Amino acid sequence: MTTDAARCFTWNMSSQFDIIVIGGGHAGAEAARVCARGGARVAMITMMRDAIGRMSCNPAIGGLAKGNLVKEIDALGGLMGEAADRAGIQFKVLNRSKGPAVQGPRAQCDKEIYSRAVQDILAAESNITFVESAVQALLFGSSALTGLRLTDGTELRARATIVTTGTFLRALMHSGEVKTAGGRFGEPSAETLSDSLRAAGLELGRLKTGTPPRIERTSVDFSLLTEARGDAEPRAFSILTDRIALPQVLCHVTYTGAFAHELIRANLHRAPMYSGQIRATGPRYCPSIEDKVVRFADKDRHQIFVEPEGLDHPWLYMNGISTSLPADVQDALVHSLPGFAHARIGRYGYAVEYDFVNPQQLDATLQVRGVAGLFLAGQINGTSGYEEAAAQGLMAGINALQYVRGGDPVVLRRDEAYAGVMIDDLVTLGTEEPYRMFTSRAEHRLLLGCDSVYERLTPIAESLGIVDDERRRRAESRVTRMHRAKTLALETSLTPDRATQEWMGAAGFELTAKTSVAKLVQRAEFHVEHFLAVAAPAFPALTSALTALSAEELEGVTSALRYSGYIERQQREASRSAGDEQTRLSAEMSYALPGLSREVVEKLSSVRPSSLGQASRIPGMTPAAIAILRMHLRRKSAETPAEHAPV
Amino acid sequence: MSELDTIVAPATPVGRSALAVVRIDGPLSGQILATLSGSLPEERKAAFTRIRQGGEPIDECVAIFYKAPRSFTGNDLVELMLHGSPVIIERVIVAARQLGARIAEPGEFTERAVLNGKLDLVQAESIADLVDARTSLQAKLSLLNVEGRLSRTCASIRESLLHVISRLEAALDFSEEGYEFITRADARMRLEAALAEIRAVADTYERGRATRAGITAVILGQPNAGKSTLLNTLVGSERAIVTPIPGTTRDIVRETIEIGGLPMTFLDTAGLREHADLVEEIGIRRARDASRSADIVLYLIDATRGADAYDEAEIAALAGRHVVVVQTKRDLAASSGLAISAATGEGMRELIAHLDAIVRERFAVPEASPSIVNERQRAAVAECESGLSAALDSIAGNADEQFIVVDLYRAANALGTLTGAVSRDDVLREIFSKFCIGK
Ligand SMILES: Cc1cc2nc3c(=O)[nH]c(=O)nc-3n(C[C@H](O)[C@H](O)[C@H](O)COP(=O)(O)OP(=O)(O)OC[C@H]3O[C@@H](n4cnc5c(N)ncnc54)[C@H](O)[C@@H]3O)c2cc1C
Ligand SMILES: Nc1nc2c(ncn2[C@@H]2O[C@H](COP(=O)(O)OP(=O)(O)OP(=O)(O)O)[C@@H](O)[C@H]2O)c(=O)[nH]1
Ligand SMILES: [Mg+2]
Repeated sequence: MTTDAARCFTWNMSSQFDIIVIGGGHAGAEAARVCARGGARVAMITMMRDAIGRMSCNPAIGGLAKGNLVKEIDALGGLMGEAADRAGIQFKVLNRSKGPAVQGPRAQCDKEIYSRAVQDILAAESNITFVESAVQALLFGSSALTGLRLTDGTELRARATIVTTGTFLRALMHSGEVKTAGGRFGEPSAETLSDSLRAAGLELGRLKTGTPPRIERTSVDFSLLTEARGDAEPRAFSILTDRIALPQVLCHVTYTGAFAHELIRANLHRAPMYSGQIRATGPRYCPSIEDKVVRFADKDRHQIFVEPEGLDHPWLYMNGISTSLPADVQDALVHSLPGFAHARIGRYGYAVEYDFVNPQQLDATLQVRGVAGLFLAGQINGTSGYEEAAAQGLMAGINALQYVRGGDPVVLRRDEAYAGVMIDDLVTLGTEEPYRMFTSRAEHRLLLGCDSVYERLTPIAESLGIVDDERRRRAESRVTRMHRAKTLALETSLTPDRATQEWMGAAGFELTAKTSVAKLVQRAEFHVEHFLAVAAPAFPALTSALTALSAEELEGVTSALRYSGYIERQQREASRSAGDEQTRLSAEMSYALPGLSREVVEKLSSVRPSSLGQASRIPGMTPAAIAILRMHLRRKSAETPAEHAPV
Repeated sequence: MSELDTIVAPATPVGRSALAVVRIDGPLSGQILATLSGSLPEERKAAFTRIRQGGEPIDECVAIFYKAPRSFTGNDLVELMLHGSPVIIERVIVAARQLGARIAEPGEFTERAVLNGKLDLVQAESIADLVDARTSLQAKLSLLNVEGRLSRTCASIRESLLHVISRLEAALDFSEEGYEFITRADARMRLEAALAEIRAVADTYERGRATRAGITAVILGQPNAGKSTLLNTLVGSERAIVTPIPGTTRDIVRETIEIGGLPMTFLDTAGLREHADLVEEIGIRRARDASRSADIVLYLIDATRGADAYDEAEIAALAGRHVVVVQTKRDLAASSGLAISAATGEGMRELIAHLDAIVRERFAVPEASPSIVNERQRAAVAECESGLSAALDSIAGNADEQFIVVDLYRAANALGTLTGAVSRDDVLREIFSKFCIGK
């Protein structure tokens, strides 16, 4: 990455704005923030200004794989981690026992405080103009987007536009037999924008997602529920957070039972997904309770997490029974749950159906292929989840910024960030159901742990000029501290002399030869805490390096040492495929090449991969076809060396 | 649509058989046949016809025209079954080239079949083997692979891998669901079974290699033992010089015949003795070198002289090789054990039967088992084996799931080059279809 952060904008005076962001959800918020940080004049257009940063569904940020995305966003200068730290009321690191590579930090959040935190962070950016209105249409020039028109007829011009309209495009909410137009409860849908996207040559599809009922907190008998606690020591997402300020609360667990399942089966014909009222595809990993009961008929109970929507919020979120059954069935279902016999539903669960754009039509910067200046991010690209939306918003924002100031595209590699895996998956494979991040989607997972995000990503953000000084300073010193401890552990060795054997014997193991501390850490019975307690005076340098680390940093260092064998193996694998990843395929390339079957040509022409590596991941691509493509590239680069220079 | 040209080549080894097949593949193939034979026969029907060039007859042959995509390559394809004379084949190819075809690169027909999705890679390699299969067992072995036996075995190992990987992944990505997706004992059991299966496949390589490359048998013995005479008798022609003078043979003489269904190459060598001249010395060194890499050593002892201490020392030095001791010239003296006479032919049938048994028992692939026959397949199977053992080590060391799967994916990807790969989406699909996941 060679971008000069100080590069001047070539201001285009006919534009009111450099970049317009349509939407103030999680994608829109990150996009607007990063563009403003990069020095662009930004407009954010949303239908309801109060709803900026609103959590449409569950009151939590992070989780497995999603937590990694939040950390990556933080390392790249994004806002989600900060907002979640300010709003968090129960923090928990999932997979705690399994090592940083697959640990996922998660926080229950106070919904109101969360959206206010997002709004505060955005308000602090003087470059952002907020416009409360709905966008009716996009305006196109000959080959690029030039601006847009609001519903009141006002036209705004900008050199780049990022569309982050979430679940709002021609959105239809279903609750039993009742259908209401709207992107989210109490908010209108966007009915005309889809036509503009079609006019830009995009193909749209339809997806659905659902949300569970909310229960009035005072109507629940908590004595019948099991408590679910967070971590005793809450661990913040953001490197900027010194302390979690809000009081920490409990969640609860309850279960569905035979009665509930019988009830659902008896009323299936009234469920929109089963009556045929909804045709769109929902996520397999987030099934409605009606799906669970039908598909896993032999399971006699399903777990429900009962989560507060906020510190003082009157509602509880029923995590596990997303549903679009009619109100009377939802009432009976809730009343059958232990502790909920007299519960009152504050808002019924519903499903929402909306238009999305198959992301194979985008390039790796999230720009629409063939329409310069038009970027899409968030749920509109077929994903689901706040974190997935936010990470795309950030990357689309960065690339819109680069587009406007004439810098290089910024594409994170699959061995560099979960965000890189996600975007590569989206633009290469497309998606037929709402896409959610899982750690198993990342083939280089061991390189993508939360412990190494600042090392991997902050330097990239820094070179782009989008990180604040405080974040940069903290990230640098953290990386230096961890690096120093790692190096000293490799360089410091213990010799099996009497004194050492004595305290090691007491710790339950023996030393037979001179061994580095790094090697000792690989033995399960070796504990750094114990080492520090007994051997500190003999190894002052290492001791000071280790004690300078926070608990989180120490975990990072020990696990990097402990699993270095596996980590190195993944690094080798990643570098083996690096050649193909760096072999660029131009966007204009013709794939009508001798030896390639028509099927393969069609696939390549429709995805237009940016590298040979990406091409090899297109489903249905054969090793032979890749070999032929590689041969052709070699021949072509031999003929015209200039044309093959890396982009 | 990619532009395809028309290629021509003999499909059978030239100069070996009574019948030779020439193939023409690509858009011009039908037209070429029509021009050569005067008319285009009905699709997929064998037609007896005369091939002419510029009015001058070349040969009478059977021609079949296959229309795309219902052909071996997936393109328009012509097969001509001609008389097996190199001259005829040459003239047909020249004629086809004049009509627009070019000579095919080695393996190009098969490559076209692969690119058109008519064959997978394993099947393609088997076809290549089939085309130059020289003996009956080899042909049968190739057919086994064409029918996808190796692909099927790999697919079954892939199933086990997918089962274990997806459950270990689920334990990582859905640890909050309160499931025990798989027990360590179950994972270990399944992986051990897969490892045993892949090892059985790996074992077929040595046998498979013999099947493909054939077997070498070195004939050793003291000068005048009758080595060159045996070679000549086996091949049925005067290949090596035979004289009563000890030390006649200097350099190695090779000939291949079929034994036990496999090609066996016999190496006639210089007689072993202590005091030899410089040239003979070099010959003896070559004989010893050859015997070290041979599959079988035939050690000949002249029955008129009997085995002496020198023979015993030589035989002892061959420990670890498969040595067959044979007495010669049984027409001249009393003999025991395996004994032959080149003069009368006595004992030759027994010797061949003995070699035949050795080949079937030690080198040929059991007819029903899958086998790997080339280096690419061997490397893939070895990588899979190594991934599985490493994963089992990780399980034994009680490592976390994310470390175990590193090696399991390695194993799965290796198999993926032989059969379908395990994609990330396969893993998620397996999880969502087997477990009730999600809130
Ligand atoms: C009912 C429901 C259930 C859900 N269930 C789940 C779930 O189970 N799991 C999960 O992970 N995620 C779920 N989500 C999704 C989650 O809320 C989204 O993934 C996330 O909020 C998407 O962020 P986004 O920024 O893409 O869009 P959103 O947060 O939807 O924001 C869209 C923004 O665009 C604005 N906008 C739209 N159209 C226009 C226009 N024409 N003009 C101006 N502004 C416009 C809106 O005002 C809003 O600010 C659910 C969402 C809903 C509504
Ligand atoms: N009667 C009889 N003579 C044999 C037989 N086999 C070989 N001879 C004779 O033995 C002599 C030596 O035979 P070769 O085959 O040249 O022996 P060799 O082992 O090749 O000898 P070098 O090449 O000198 O090592 C020749 O005169 C053969 O005709 C046999 O079975 N019966
Ligand atoms: Mg001889």
